Amino acid sequence: MLKSTFTPILWALTPKPKYPKHPPHAVTNTSTAHVRHNASVTTPPLPSSAYVHLPFCRKRCHYCDFPILALGSFSPHDDDPRVSNYVHFLCREITATKVSPNPNAPLQTVFFGGGTPSLVPPRLVSLVLDTLRIKFGVSQDAEISMEMDPGTFDADKMREMVLLGVNRVSLGVQAFQEKLLKACGRAHGLREVHEAISVVKSCGVENWSVDLIASLPHQTEDMWEESLRLTIQAQPTHVSVYDLQIEQGTKFGRLYTPGEFPLPSEVQSADFYKMASRMLCDANYNHYEISSYSKSGYECKHNSTYWKNMPFYGFGLGSASFVGGVRFSRPKKLNEYMNYVQNLENGLVNGSVSADDRTHAKDMAMDVVMLSLRTATGLDLKHFQETFGRSIVLSLLKAYKPYVESGHVVGLDEERKTIRIDDLSNSLLDKANTKGRLAYIRLSDPEGFLLSNELIAIAFGVIDSWEDRPPYKEIA
Amino acid sequence: MGFLSKASKSMRQSNYLSLLRNFNFNPYINRITHQCSSVTSALFCSQSRQSSTREKSTIDLSEYPPELVRNFSIIAHVDHGKSTLADRLLELTGTIKKGHGQPQYLDKLQVERERGITVKAQTATMFYKHRKSGNDCDDEKELPNFLLNLIDTPGHVDFSYEVSRSLAACQGVLLVVDAAQGVQAQTVANFYLAFESNLTIVPVINKIDQPTADPDRVKAQLKSMFDLDPSDALLTSAKTGVGLEQVLPAVIERIPPPPGRSNSPLRMLLLDSYYDEYKGVICHVAVVDGVLYKGGKISFAATGQSYEALDIGIMHPELTPTGVLLTGQVGYVVSGMRSTKDARVGDTIYHTRSIVEPLPGFKPAKHMVFSGLYPADGSDFEALNHAIERLTCNDASVSITKETSTALGLGFRCGFLGLLHMDVFHQRLEQEYGAHVISTVPTVPYIFEYSDGSKLEVQNPASLPSNPKQRVMACWEPTVIATIIIPSEYMGPVITLVSERRGQQLEYSFIDSQRAFMKYRLPLREIVVDFYNVLKSITSGYASFDYEDSDYQQADLVKLDILLNGQPVDAMATIVHNMKAYRVGRELAEKLKKVIDRQMFEITIQAAIGSKIIARETISAMRKNVLAKCYGGDVTRKRKLLEKQKEGKKRMKRVGSVDIPQEAFNELLKNS
Repeated sequence: MLKSTFTPILWALTPKPKYPKHPPHAVTNTSTAHVRHNASVTTPPLPSSAYVHLPFCRKRCHYCDFPILALGSFSPHDDDPRVSNYVHFLCREITATKVSPNPNAPLQTVFFGGGTPSLVPPRLVSLVLDTLRIKFGVSQDAEISMEMDPGTFDADKMREMVLLGVNRVSLGVQAFQEKLLKACGRAHGLREVHEAISVVKSCGVENWSVDLIASLPHQTEDMWEESLRLTIQAQPTHVSVYDLQIEQGTKFGRLYTPGEFPLPSEVQSADFYKMASRMLCDANYNHYEISSYSKSGYECKHNSTYWKNMPFYGFGLGSASFVGGVRFSRPKKLNEYMNYVQNLENGLVNGSVSADDRTHAKDMAMDVVMLSLRTATGLDLKHFQETFGRSIVLSLLKAYKPYVESGHVVGLDEERKTIRIDDLSNSLLDKANTKGRLAYIRLSDPEGFLLSNELIAIAFGVIDSWEDRPPYKEIA
Repeated sequence: MGFLSKASKSMRQSNYLSLLRNFNFNPYINRITHQCSSVTSALFCSQSRQSSTREKSTIDLSEYPPELVRNFSIIAHVDHGKSTLADRLLELTGTIKKGHGQPQYLDKLQVERERGITVKAQTATMFYKHRKSGNDCDDEKELPNFLLNLIDTPGHVDFSYEVSRSLAACQGVLLVVDAAQGVQAQTVANFYLAFESNLTIVPVINKIDQPTADPDRVKAQLKSMFDLDPSDALLTSAKTGVGLEQVLPAVIERIPPPPGRSNSPLRMLLLDSYYDEYKGVICHVAVVDGVLYKGGKISFAATGQSYEALDIGIMHPELTPTGVLLTGQVGYVVSGMRSTKDARVGDTIYHTRSIVEPLPGFKPAKHMVFSGLYPADGSDFEALNHAIERLTCNDASVSITKETSTALGLGFRCGFLGLLHMDVFHQRLEQEYGAHVISTVPTVPYIFEYSDGSKLEVQNPASLPSNPKQRVMACWEPTVIATIIIPSEYMGPVITLVSERRGQQLEYSFIDSQRAFMKYRLPLREIVVDFYNVLKSITSGYASFDYEDSDYQQADLVKLDILLNGQPVDAMATIVHNMKAYRVGRELAEKLKKVIDRQMFEITIQAAIGSKIIARETISAMRKNVLAKCYGGDVTRKRKLLEKQKEGKKRMKRVGSVDIPQEAFNELLKNS
């Protein structure tokens, strides 16, 4: 369930910066598509990703404020009614979801997040996957990820999951210190961590990720260095490094104040982040998103839909979806969720479309900026300009100028070469020469990423005070 | 009784009519007229020019020659029960209905009610039947009816001029003293104010219902400190009503009637004024000599402007037209005046074309304190402009000019009578007009003289060049002569305080075995910000403090700039005495370090005199602000957080690359 907290989020497989054509365009193409879509609701872009929430955990971790259902310490058998009831509602939700008549859009990614999806019996996982196949189709080479926690599966269960189609595992290790695992209320120890790693590797899962948490209470620099070292030794294709967030209403929220002992200071915490960036990059991982690292070609495809502001389905308790330009979160309480599913079946709720929530131009611009600046690819200015107009790009660059000077923000040309500060303003004007012309801005690693909230909030300020009507006036 | 019943019949009807016409509907008026039993006089009708405003006045003021008029004020230390006593007297005379209306009836502003202070003078006219001693007629209907005017005055030293004008309209005061607390600082100051104006003082020992009340001790204090006869003191509890029946008889018996001459040309004292959206400016006045009829042409001595008295009457307790105001009476005049700027407190009003000697004591408003007022959110300038225009309609003692600050944008430079006045103005802007403002540190008007002989008056420190081309030859600052009266055991700390404030002792003596009296010349700057508060706190509230303007004196003054990352923040510049510059500079830099948040860059805070840096603090750069966690594609949560962060930034003021929270400016206001 750890994972659940940290959940699947960020990493994604954004195409690497190195191949300019593909990735950058993806970002903007989708936004453009949304815009058009909003203008004429008849041709919505179809999601090709689905997030499925499996909320069961042994117990709640001390930092977790996610919608989960704690089952207790025994391993659920196939007929634990709490699990099978939930999965049945989940399948009913999938089945009742309205889809467009266009049949040619099988899912390219499915992500089982939680909770601890590895607690769910394979038979029930199979049921969910079958329901998805019937409803949307699942592409032959789809990425099917599952969050799995040490101590909740053995080699047999892993093999069963692989047979069902799970081809990517996100392993909730969090730390390599017994003491820290215990302190944050994890339901497993260090032995289970090592077992789980060898099970995953022995079952031939090629694409797998280790999830770690930095800035835990009492965590020292040595411990963090050890965790990173052991992670690198295990040779996963992907590493997610989350930063502990102290949430209200959690045990940690009651016990600790950010920046105060036993939590690391802001300076220490920044050093942890930098250490992760340095060690993982030295080990040949790409830091492709604020908290995601991967070997080349192993970026998480599912999470990349989030960063690219592309649509995705969401199913299950508290899950979020982005369909038809509308973001929607399902109820976080079980009985409310079950009511929701019933209403969905009865046609009383639409699942996604609610006119009030329609993404407006400013909101969309904020989403694009917020999501793309989390990635190494950064914001594709050409497409951003096409969608939202030139004036906002100019204002954004003006606002970012001091941060380019300070090295927090980097300007890149079409070929992903860094543009010198002096050339920055001129390069925009140069219509003829694409080489050396500003095409992307991104946050630097690690300094820019470390202050991403500040920097993105500055961009929000620019968008907020943006009065020029964008070229697509038809957006209401 | 025949006379009375006839009167009341005619009254009933005329009342009804006047209610219809009267904008200020007053539910008590009917009752009042019955009590007053006066007859409409044909005289007033003949004075009415427009049939639409033809009024049958319900109160005949001609029945109240000066001998039947008493003008008095209630003065007291804060919380000794002044407002409650006023309420009880208004109830006792039927002027307001008991248990109805809000307590502290005369304190109409929210700021007055919240702080328990009086900012604007108010008047209230009451009628009271009283058998004067010596008059042995015992037929009730023959009892003379007295017209009593209660003039409520501000108490704070900022308004000492306004108080002196209000007291000039009175012949006596009720000096209210708390029976448990005894004589306090403001009691002393108030006593001397009244005493110097030759007013009759009626001591009232109030709150005698308290378990700790000790009226005998208070009587002894009144005797020893003010030489007031203990047997003259009235014992009351405004709360329970005990002893209240003695108060008005004492007012009538002891306080002399107003001394004016009925046959002389009209002279009225302008007590205060306020702005009414429908009627325009309403002036509270006291008729010193002569008579004013409705429709009369009047002129204001200070401005030379002439108006017609469109509506005149008494405050009973709200506007009650009477068509006439006679010698010694107190009431209001509506003259179609548009702005209270033309109605200066203490001015003399007279009949146009008559020649009179203006009443003594008039002074134009003198602005002792200046500060910049800026909209807290830069885009709200227009809203603030509007709010200030409206408020100055009601408080003309503020001077307003537009100014611009690089840090704060467009705003206003405002001149105030003093610090409380400034505070009250801010509070009224917020409470009555919903304006959110940033105020710069208050300053006083300095004069700088340069080597080429030119002189510069500085009301805003930012306007003084930090590195002038011409050498500064001399600087002058305004001073005051301060009077401080304290219990002698506090002499030590008070002398320390005053010398820290660059005070120069002029006089010092003992009033009695317990009280010391000191006179100091003090630079105005030193008392303007927090002197009174500090003085009160080091003397447990016993110090009484008053001051009068004095000359400019030469002083070694320097401009202290505050720089953030090398950029001066104009709104934070101050002018200080050279001797204190280092200390003030250090304090300001330390204070700013506490209130400015860490930002993406290191921030240097410097205090400088010209190009010389005298203090420096550093705020290290923010190291980390990242959400390295997301929620299954749920971007809304993240969005909200970032938007909140953005909103926070928007409220900041920006100098160069540094964001300054608004609290930073407010923080500088505190004891600098």
